Amino acid sequence: MSAAGAARREGTELAGDDPARLATVSLETAARGGRPPACAIVDASVHVRPRSQAEFRAYLPRLWKTRRLPSGDGYYYPNPAGNHLRETYSDAGPPGSDPDLLHRHLITDGGVDRVVLHPLTLGLLPDIDLLGAVCSATNAWLADTWLGPTHDRFHGTIRVAPGDPVAAVAEIERWAAHPGFVQVGVPMQSLQPYGKRQFWPVWEAAAAHGLPVCVHADAETGVEHAPTPAGYLHTHFGHAAVAPFMFVNHLTSLMTEGVLDHLPGLRVVFADGGFDLLGPMMWRLDKDYRAMRVDMPWMTRLPSEYLAEQVRFVAHRMDGPDDAAVAGEWLSMVDADRLLVYGSNYPNWDFLPPGLVYPDAAAEARERILHGNATRLYELDRGETA
Amino acid sequence: MTERVVCATEDLPPGSRVVVSVDRIEIGVFNIGGELVAIRNRCPHAGAPMCDGLLTGTVVSDGPQQRRWAHDGEILRCPWHGWEFKLPEGRSLVDPPYLLSTYEVRVLDGQVLVDTASGRGTRTRAEART
Repeated sequence: MSAAGAARREGTELAGDDPARLATVSLETAARGGRPPACAIVDASVHVRPRSQAEFRAYLPRLWKTRRLPSGDGYYYPNPAGNHLRETYSDAGPPGSDPDLLHRHLITDGGVDRVVLHPLTLGLLPDIDLLGAVCSATNAWLADTWLGPTHDRFHGTIRVAPGDPVAAVAEIERWAAHPGFVQVGVPMQSLQPYGKRQFWPVWEAAAAHGLPVCVHADAETGVEHAPTPAGYLHTHFGHAAVAPFMFVNHLTSLMTEGVLDHLPGLRVVFADGGFDLLGPMMWRLDKDYRAMRVDMPWMTRLPSEYLAEQVRFVAHRMDGPDDAAVAGEWLSMVDADRLLVYGSNYPNWDFLPPGLVYPDAAAEARERILHGNATRLYELDRGETA
Repeated sequence: MTERVVCATEDLPPGSRVVVSVDRIEIGVFNIGGELVAIRNRCPHAGAPMCDGLLTGTVVSDGPQQRRWAHDGEILRCPWHGWEFKLPEGRSLVDPPYLLSTYEVRVLDGQVLVDTASGRGTRTRAEART
């Protein structure tokens, strides 16, 4: 509290290059308001990172250990609010690098019961072998640092690079039996939409192990497509609003190429939000499916009929209408209580606390979004007695 | 039974169709390789004149990523929205609850007869869903 007060008093000073002092959003403030839920809570989207390059490099094999790594910070839109919550900076390391601090923020103080950790990697690298090594090291680091027996509330994400399907499948096989990992994570950025045939072995491996595939915007290294087909928007404001809509391309591709029919057990989670575009998108796809089915005879259902069994979205602070009266109608119209899972996006500045997850929705709907849907999706009650 | 004469059999050779208005219902009779099929001239989806549609085949899939031409000459495509219906039963390929109205049809003394009271199928979206 005193640190926050000090930062406010220094508001007119130049913050220099200290990211902690550029962070304008405080966890304590962001967590206020709304309606604290009565149910247990699963936070399905939390981002963690190593404390230091040294901590990470310890998990790279000798071949890559002394190799320079790109920063992954080819991020063209500096966020004027700062990238992370103020309280997540510490002397021990960058935001999201300290298991004890994260535990305190989310579980002890935040009331969350279980957390799904999703470390980012280096997005797309031209050197796919280096990217594979980064993914492997990230998984080994996560298992050692966050998924040990002392952290039984934390669940992990197996990071893979779908651009190298052989290595991605091997990485899934390597970790699938580890009880700590509950999903496979891939970048939202891709040079091809994810329904394309070269990616099928990766989705087959995930489905065979009952692991949902989580799609999330990753680091940018300069080899991705431009963030919109029309090029670059001017500022972070527009970029952040539009970027999640990339899911439309991957989801449409997974449907029309037949992936969702081929793998009825595959679950796909879009973790950047954008859920509010899903309804209109399904209206569009459903409308012409009947006339166009002949082009994709392997697609056996109306597009909207795949969602309930195979697709989930992580709720995002930016989704949906502000007006509570409109929000209620909208939520029921788009099956939100079945398709949404709660994720806070901690330690990022656009943190969504549980209390602000559709506070006016019916208690049963909130329970599903905050707890039930994720518990079933990730089988978090496996091994527990009913 | 309310049978009506539609046309003479020589006016309905294989591959052709005849559309008539009988008892204030528009009915089309198709000769599909010698088999006669009578349907109401109305798409159960949005009311389009089905008998203006293309009689063709379609593409089916026997497995992932596979395509095969099938049902040649048995698929009637709606002229408005392209919905495909498989004759003779009239079932929609793309939304199976939807069914064309079909009528009993037979040949007697060189005449094609349709029983206009025999129509069955779906006429509305609500009917199709129940």
